[in-house]
Amino acid sequence: MGTVIVGAVLLGVVAIIIRKLVRDKKSGKSLQCGVDCRNCGGHCER
Amino acid sequence: MAIKIALAGNPNSGKTTLFNALTGSNQFVGNWPGVTVEKKEGKLKGNKNVVITDLPGIYSLSPYTLEEVVARNYLINERPDAILNIVDGTNLERNLYLSTQLMELGIPVIMAVNMMDVVDKNGDRIYTDKLSKKLGCEVVEISALKGTGIQKAAEKAVAVANSKNVTVPVHTFAPEVESVLDAVEAKLGSNIDDNQKRFFAIKLLEKDDKISTQMKSVPDVTKEIDEIETKMDDDTESIITNERYVYISSIIDECSTKNSKGKLTISDKIDRIVTNRFLALPIFALVMFIVYYVSVTTVGTWVTDWTNDGLFGESWRFFGTDVPGIPMLIGNLLDAIGVAPWLEGLILDGIVAGVGAVLGFVPQMLVLFIFLGFLEGCGYMARVAFIMDRIFRKFGLSGKSFIPMLIGSGCGVPGIMASRTIENERDRRMTIMTTTFIPCGAKLPIIGLIAGALFNGAPWVAPSAYFVGIAAIICSGIILKKTKLFAGDPAPFVMELPAYHLPTVGNVLRSMWERGWSFIKKAGTIILLSTIFVWFTSYFGWIDGKFRMLDVLELDHSILAKIGNVFAWVFTPLGWGDWRSAVAAITGLVAKENVVGTFGILYGFAEVGEEGNEIWGSLAGSMTQIAAYSFLVFNLLCAPCFAAMGAIKREMNSTKWFWTAVGYQTILAYVVSLCVYQVGTFITTGKFGAGMVAAIILIIGFIYLLVRPYKESTTFNVKLKGASQSK
Repeated sequence: MGTVIVGAVLLGVVAIIIRKLVRDKKSGKSLQCGVDCRNCGGHCER
Repeated sequence: MAIKIALAGNPNSGKTTLFNALTGSNQFVGNWPGVTVEKKEGKLKGNKNVVITDLPGIYSLSPYTLEEVVARNYLINERPDAILNIVDGTNLERNLYLSTQLMELGIPVIMAVNMMDVVDKNGDRIYTDKLSKKLGCEVVEISALKGTGIQKAAEKAVAVANSKNVTVPVHTFAPEVESVLDAVEAKLGSNIDDNQKRFFAIKLLEKDDKISTQMKSVPDVTKEIDEIETKMDDDTESIITNERYVYISSIIDECSTKNSKGKLTISDKIDRIVTNRFLALPIFALVMFIVYYVSVTTVGTWVTDWTNDGLFGESWRFFGTDVPGIPMLIGNLLDAIGVAPWLEGLILDGIVAGVGAVLGFVPQMLVLFIFLGFLEGCGYMARVAFIMDRIFRKFGLSGKSFIPMLIGSGCGVPGIMASRTIENERDRRMTIMTTTFIPCGAKLPIIGLIAGALFNGAPWVAPSAYFVGIAAIICSGIILKKTKLFAGDPAPFVMELPAYHLPTVGNVLRSMWERGWSFIKKAGTIILLSTIFVWFTSYFGWIDGKFRMLDVLELDHSILAKIGNVFAWVFTPLGWGDWRSAVAAITGLVAKENVVGTFGILYGFAEVGEEGNEIWGSLAGSMTQIAAYSFLVFNLLCAPCFAAMGAIKREMNSTKWFWTAVGYQTILAYVVSLCVYQVGTFITTGKFGAGMVAAIILIIGFIYLLVRPYKESTTFNVKLKGASQSK
């Protein structure tokens, strides 16, 4: 039971991360530079 | 509809500081010109209907660099409802040059004279009421840093935007110029808005080649230009520039008084030492040594040790009580709810080990970011660009190339983007190719790991990483400049040195937090996913033809080991031909922190810090100190992470140039690492083999490329149709 619960939570976390990365990528943000364009003024949004 | 207000002004006049104060944003602020290269938008605090745009700093509306084009095109095409013109009160005369041009755009303008606190401190006076009358627009005194007067400036900007009262330039040129301007305006027809006609007419007279892209039809004004140039015996651009400065000089005399004319300011006195011909470089080297030494080896390490040994170790003490570390807590929880061993392994040996190994270096990184934030904020880094110009110029780059490298010490992506401030395309490309040699924040964990675990915290290792980067830039500059691709004189470097000031604690902490938080977020996303991949591929494999989960001692049979062994031999001459190191270096391409995360999983992370000898003994056993330094050098210089490579591709705007840059970086990293390992091994052990022979050949070749004379081409080959080759 513990395996199912923890596995489901982990899968959920991974799904959320992938969804966020894909969304950020689609909106033009960089995946790797922290997905935070405030530092570089959104350079990668071009 | 939202009201649009644009912040426009000279570089380093405080636009971004004002933008942050008005919108509550956390945009990066630095005390040097050229921090902002792309426009940014934010909503005014307390009035979400007002959108404020922070534009890159410009000296005039005649753009030369890419970011100047961004600012001018925004003002012409987007036509904000009002312009809040930020003027540096300590440099009024130079700043007013742009102001006179902004008022010709046919947009309501409010002027905010910034740095009034410094003006008052210097005993100078600016009579804003007189200035307002002379310029024909409202003038407000502000200090963006201290937050005084900024609300009033915003309110006035909103009011003038609502009133839609276009600012009409009070200033007129000489009668001869005005009559020609009238004639040009008449030629513009109805395609250009009436309010913008004067601006376009002036630009056409100035022979601004980029203005035609903003016009549907470009009238021929050659006759008008010839007429005025003959009459005034000068070219039109100089005539108009001169007219503006004559006008500004007349305003300055009436609207301001200087207390400190001819006296040396504190900034001047400091500059006499830190930019001194002989002292500048040693001071810079000392400053960077202290920054890296303190960040990685002393203060940063104390906190990192606590993080690694306590928070991510077995336990840590809190007010006399033992608190279990995160792995212990999670392990106990997973045991209590009866999680399967493979899932426990994934979480503890994969995610906690990998992400924990990376997060363990956050304290060191935060300390480094505090130092960098302080150096940038106080104005010293602007001096470094000036100091580096003297060296860079000798091999064909200008000090302007140092600005992207400075920004790149946080993250390579904005560093590469900052190369847009370089007008000369050749210099820009070379800067893009070399910027990522400066260690970015993500490389700091690798430096910390090698310095701590393999060199027992030797003080020279961390600072040497920075100097390896600088040396790589200088050598690359010398070598590349002698090739046909980059030959030519460097562009002139003109940069104003901002006055020194103590940055506010808030700004330094914000700069540190913004950079650090990006890193932490990355650990929670891309690094976490990577650790799951690395754990799965390293803890599953075939033993006796059977695919199963592996024990920690069986990792050599894993999928990752099989993949790693395919290309590990490539790195054997560099001293780390083990599949683990090879895989770690390759995963670093996803994000450089992955190098440490992968080691964390493959060597069973518990303590990655300075004191992590027990666990990292296996890492230390797999490579010598020389090999470890070779590994460090390779990871510092080789192709950056995918994000930075993407930035290189975008900025180069050419597949050929992209591959040239990435190829050059990787080959250089390989050659330098090979030489470090082979020569280092020869010196320490006396071993002389084929690798050493290759290293000698490479060193000779490298020295030849460095010292070979630069030959200017004396012939020009042209292929003519129907004729043999002509010279």
